[in-house]
Amino acid sequence: MHPLVVQYRAVVVKEVRQTVRDKRVMALLTIAPLMQLFVLGFAVNFDVRHVPTAVVDRDNTSESRDYARTLLAGDTLDLKAEVHDERTAQELLERGEASVALVFPQEFQEDVLRGTGAQVQALVDGSDPVRSGVAVDAVARHAAQRAARLMQTDAVARGELPIRPPVELVPRVLYNPELSTAVYVVPGIAAMLLLVVTTIIMAMGLARERESGTLEQLQVTPLKPGILMAGKVTPFVIIGLVDVGLALSVGAWVFHVPLRGNLGIVALATLLYLLSTLGVGLLIATLSRTQQQAFVGGFLFLLPAVLLSGVMTPIHAMPDWLAWVTYFNPVRYYVEVLRGTLLKSASLGDLWRQVVLLGVFGTLVISLASRRFRKTSA
Amino acid sequence: MSDAPDVALEDVRKGFGATQALRGVSLAVGHGEVYGLVGPDGAGKTTAIRLMAGLLRADGGRVRMLGEDPANPRSQVREGLGLVPQRNTLYGDLSVDENLHFFARLFGLSKEDFASRRERLLDITRLGRFTERRADALSGGMYKKLALACALLHRPRVLLLDEPTNGVDPVSRRELWELLYTLVHDGMTLIVSTPYMDEAARCHRVGLLYAGELIAEGGPRELARQHGVAASNFEAVFLALVERRNGTGGRAA
Repeated sequence: MHPLVVQYRAVVVKEVRQTVRDKRVMALLTIAPLMQLFVLGFAVNFDVRHVPTAVVDRDNTSESRDYARTLLAGDTLDLKAEVHDERTAQELLERGEASVALVFPQEFQEDVLRGTGAQVQALVDGSDPVRSGVAVDAVARHAAQRAARLMQTDAVARGELPIRPPVELVPRVLYNPELSTAVYVVPGIAAMLLLVVTTIIMAMGLARERESGTLEQLQVTPLKPGILMAGKVTPFVIIGLVDVGLALSVGAWVFHVPLRGNLGIVALATLLYLLSTLGVGLLIATLSRTQQQAFVGGFLFLLPAVLLSGVMTPIHAMPDWLAWVTYFNPVRYYVEVLRGTLLKSASLGDLWRQVVLLGVFGTLVISLASRRFRKTSA
Repeated sequence: MSDAPDVALEDVRKGFGATQALRGVSLAVGHGEVYGLVGPDGAGKTTAIRLMAGLLRADGGRVRMLGEDPANPRSQVREGLGLVPQRNTLYGDLSVDENLHFFARLFGLSKEDFASRRERLLDITRLGRFTERRADALSGGMYKKLALACALLHRPRVLLLDEPTNGVDPVSRRELWELLYTLVHDGMTLIVSTPYMDEAARCHRVGLLYAGELIAEGGPRELARQHGVAASNFEAVFLALVERRNGTGGRAA
């Protein structure tokens, strides 16, 4: 066997032994990502349901009661309290006990029957824009449906043909028909966890070698820095692939994330993505003297990398200059590959740009890290 | 001893920020010699050893190890060099055997060579009963012996030992020196740094380092004779040299 292969194998075996023996690192590599996937998968939820709603029904007629009942029948708005005046409703909003208050005026039924335009006031707590936006949409949609129905009833009563709206929207949601947040978010969380775990572990592992002096001991052996680096990276590439497999299994089993596409594309993209994440870890380690510095350095990189990846917020919602920055973030491309493959069954032909860019980033980062590592350890 | 020294420092200077660790040190160590770098803490002993091992680059002057620049990553010097650093720099979470095996692989030892050398090294270091024990569970003396065994696996021509007896009990210290003499008999060159003056007497030649300068060099008996003291009282030699260098009395203490 070639001496370099012997050295490489020796480093891999050493890394595996050290990793397996360190229970905290093992937990960090295996159990922690799964636990975080569970917690974040459930916690990160953009679905707005069961918004607590207060009703002020000054009219208290069959029409107002029916209007409120049908509006609250869905799972968007939930009746929290029926109160007698606006002030009490506002107090509920201020205390956060209700997010929406519906106020029916005294002549609501009369105005409806007269056809003079009845009004329902909706007081909405705007401190949570997502929640309030969805609540306003629900109220407005219900009002429009109700109005259309009343117009049809009136037309029938007048002996006319029922009025049909000139344009009717027929929505059909593809890839995620139930519009489940988890289906969209879980692949992103998997990418994020892989980034956090591999970057931090790699950065701290090498910084530990430097801090404890073992790196110096290796420097007086014929071991080449490139072989040392390859040997240190290899076990974490394997662990990373296993982590992704576990994350996708949990995603499918617990959060019903579909696994529609070719998992070979996912494996290829993961491999290339890991080159970037581990390369960044190595790069941080070459810039750090202690494990503490490596840890802080890791987080300084991770935060913008996650925020500018499209995992949590859509890239198209970012300002143009910031969206432009995301083109230099490999996390973005990996998330696109995961979502594209898993949810849309996209092929390599559809995702080749992302895969190539992951490869380019991986090669650049690992080359840069390798060069710096050689320089700092020569 | 061959004519070309195994290790040579020529007017070597090394600083760390405002601190000058070595100020123009020159020395040469021939093949098969036991050379002691003796001096108090902060004298520059570790810097000198690290320069010889190629772990540091000199700011000025020239360092040669087995005829090569040890700081040059392309040099083959690592094949012929062994280092026992002052700090515990083995893998504490690996066992004695795993550490030996790992370093043997890095030096490209065949299975047969490793088996025979392992047996001999475990025998002379008396670590044979502790092969399964983790390195960080060894006593100070045993740890040093393991570090020595790892550094000797590839049979280096030059062995650098940075304060190998620091923090080691007297019995282990004596054992360690006996072991080092065994190596010298095998034709190895040894450079040992130590703050303990009594250990100077165990070396063929010593270089006395003080504040980054080599203030004296020679055989321990010869230096003792020059100062009219017994070789066993080497501390008196050192103090006299420091006083002379400082031009005062008692500042070296």
